Amino acid sequence: MTALEPGSTWVVWLIVSPLAAALIAFLLPRVAAAIALANALFMGVAALALLDLVTEQGPHRYSLGGWGAPLGIDLYADPLSGVLLVVAAVVVLATLFYSRDYLARTAIGPLFWPISLFLHAALNALLLSADAFNLYVTLELLSLSAVALVALADEQRAVAAALRYLLASIVASLAYLLGVALLYHTAGVLDLAALAERATWTPATWAALGLMTAGLAVKGALFPVHFWLPGAHSYAPSPVSALLSALVVKAPFYVLLRLWYAPFAGAPEAVGTLLGLLGALAIVWGSLQALRQARLKLLIAYSTVAQIGYLFLFFPLAQSRSALQGVTVFILGHALAKAAMFLAAGNMHKCLGHDRIQDLHRVARELPVTLAAFAVGGVCIMGLPPSGNFIGKWLLIEAAFAQGEWGWAVVVVAGGLLSAAYVFRVLGHAFTVDDKPVDASGAPASMAWAAFALALLALTLGVFAAPLIDLIGGPGETAVAHLSSREP
Amino acid sequence: MTNPERDTLARLARFGSTLAVALVFAGLAFAMLSLPAEPTGLAAAVRAELPGTGAANPVTAVLLNFRGYDTLLEIAVLLLALLAIWTMRRGQLRPQRDPGDVLESLASIQAPVMLVVAGYLLWAGGSAPGGAFQAGGILAAAGVMLVLAGSGWPQRLSGWPLRVALVLGLSAFICVGVAVVLGGQEFLAYPASGAATIILVLEICATVSIAVILLDMFLSVLRGRASRTDTTASIDQP
Repeated sequence: MTALEPGSTWVVWLIVSPLAAALIAFLLPRVAAAIALANALFMGVAALALLDLVTEQGPHRYSLGGWGAPLGIDLYADPLSGVLLVVAAVVVLATLFYSRDYLARTAIGPLFWPISLFLHAALNALLLSADAFNLYVTLELLSLSAVALVALADEQRAVAAALRYLLASIVASLAYLLGVALLYHTAGVLDLAALAERATWTPATWAALGLMTAGLAVKGALFPVHFWLPGAHSYAPSPVSALLSALVVKAPFYVLLRLWYAPFAGAPEAVGTLLGLLGALAIVWGSLQALRQARLKLLIAYSTVAQIGYLFLFFPLAQSRSALQGVTVFILGHALAKAAMFLAAGNMHKCLGHDRIQDLHRVARELPVTLAAFAVGGVCIMGLPPSGNFIGKWLLIEAAFAQGEWGWAVVVVAGGLLSAAYVFRVLGHAFTVDDKPVDASGAPASMAWAAFALALLALTLGVFAAPLIDLIGGPGETAVAHLSSREP
Repeated sequence: MTNPERDTLARLARFGSTLAVALVFAGLAFAMLSLPAEPTGLAAAVRAELPGTGAANPVTAVLLNFRGYDTLLEIAVLLLALLAIWTMRRGQLRPQRDPGDVLESLASIQAPVMLVVAGYLLWAGGSAPGGAFQAGGILAAAGVMLVLAGSGWPQRLSGWPLRVALVLGLSAFICVGVAVVLGGQEFLAYPASGAATIILVLEICATVSIAVILLDMFLSVLRGRASRTDTTASIDQP
């Protein structure tokens, strides 16, 4: 065991700091909000520092306990995990800043702070994990904290939605865990890179592929197993909806992505095509459902179902590098835009006392910043330039053309048109005039600006996207080699 | 009123789902049967490295040293599960009904025995099967039994002493891990000379937290049920 250079401990602080902050916030409820905000700021700094480190020095491995894989557990950071850690920190920071004023106006107790800190720790641990079983533990931690946050809403329906989410999540976890057991029995290791080296396609590997993909599809709310998402994401308190839709639901997809480059790298094209088809169906079905909803938060939740579909278009297009780049930029853009939309919806809910789309009169005049945040977020979801979603969709279309599979490009464009329809439906109602009073004091400026800042970041993401794209699967290196490479 | 067409549909759906489950089961069974009889796991590597881990039992070495990070997160999962129950908890525990002489006297004999067994399991974990999770589980069971027998003292742990006991295990893990990092080593890399002591301290702290977390889960569910039957019995039938 040798002493390490100082920069390399960022991966540890990214996991330990939110855990320690969660314990302090639990022990000292009075300073919980301050601790949570300070931690979110620190997470932003640490994530940027780590991204800088992996950009300069290439992918980075860290052996916990000093043992090293396969005996111990390794953490692994590369530009993909780096940018996701940064966007997670940004969304969490804005959401927690918003939550300070939001919680003051609700009956939600101080448990929100430690649980949301656990959620951030789980997310960071998941993004940095390089071990199939450790990924299971981080998924458990993430799901449980998400369920607990949904149940915080003081409403019977929210508790019911939380329990449904919990049950779906547990079944999915068990399927994933059984897959891990099968892989371990076949290959004798749990480290993803080591699994990739030893993977052979035995019946057990096939079963593991099926079980783990199915489990992650349920947790990631891929059509048709998205049934738990609309309730959980819409009945949750609004800042929680933002965290769930922006970040939590992307985590299982990220795990599947990692598996796709390691033990399942040789999976037949048919599996990828199937996932892509389900993604395409998700885009159509989620968008049509969003159009039909009467409540704003349900509309946004169904929009998430549709947007998750885009992520799964990655699998049939995985051969071309721009698919991974596109899907990464898309995740960033959707995280920022969707968080902005849920936070804005939370403001409208607080001021109007409801979130019925038909009765959103006068929102444009009384809550201009909030509505601007929602509209800008919506424009990003539609995929108009210069949003990150535009770049993401563009790269996906490019990948589809590169592989000569035009069908996927049609799906991408059609999904954009459908999302424009449901976003304009909300905006149409928000601009109507009515005499009913709106209590604008329900959402102070801090809440409106937190939403607007996220929306603005989502919109301008396309401008910063070029260096980001170069980072993911950088020049001279294929994305595949980049993701599964081990440090010499 | 029965609709023959709907009946047929329902039967078809049931048949279809049965068939799907049977197919999945058959596929899994086939995969299991095709597994090599001799697993190619890490057992040999664990045995080879065992002397430097501070534990003579390979399971303990894996849980607290090789994969100590997993155990740290698992303890966080337990604590989080309790917080999740707390988010749904409403109301206070009712006074207990009379448990009867048999339960009361049995509990008063068994509780001290369980305490000793838990202590033994905790200590034995270093060299034989046992350890923090088993010891904590038995301690929590003793607490549940005392509550059911009408004893009030497991509930006397509340307020900040309760919170400290709940976070003790996770805090100890984090403190050890961070101390090692500040000393220039990898997170959770124990120095070989002090590993046995560190593992023992971690196991003791984890045992306390696991026991209190499990016991409080039980109490929280009891409280939740008591308050539901009081206020919202008409909405939420058991």
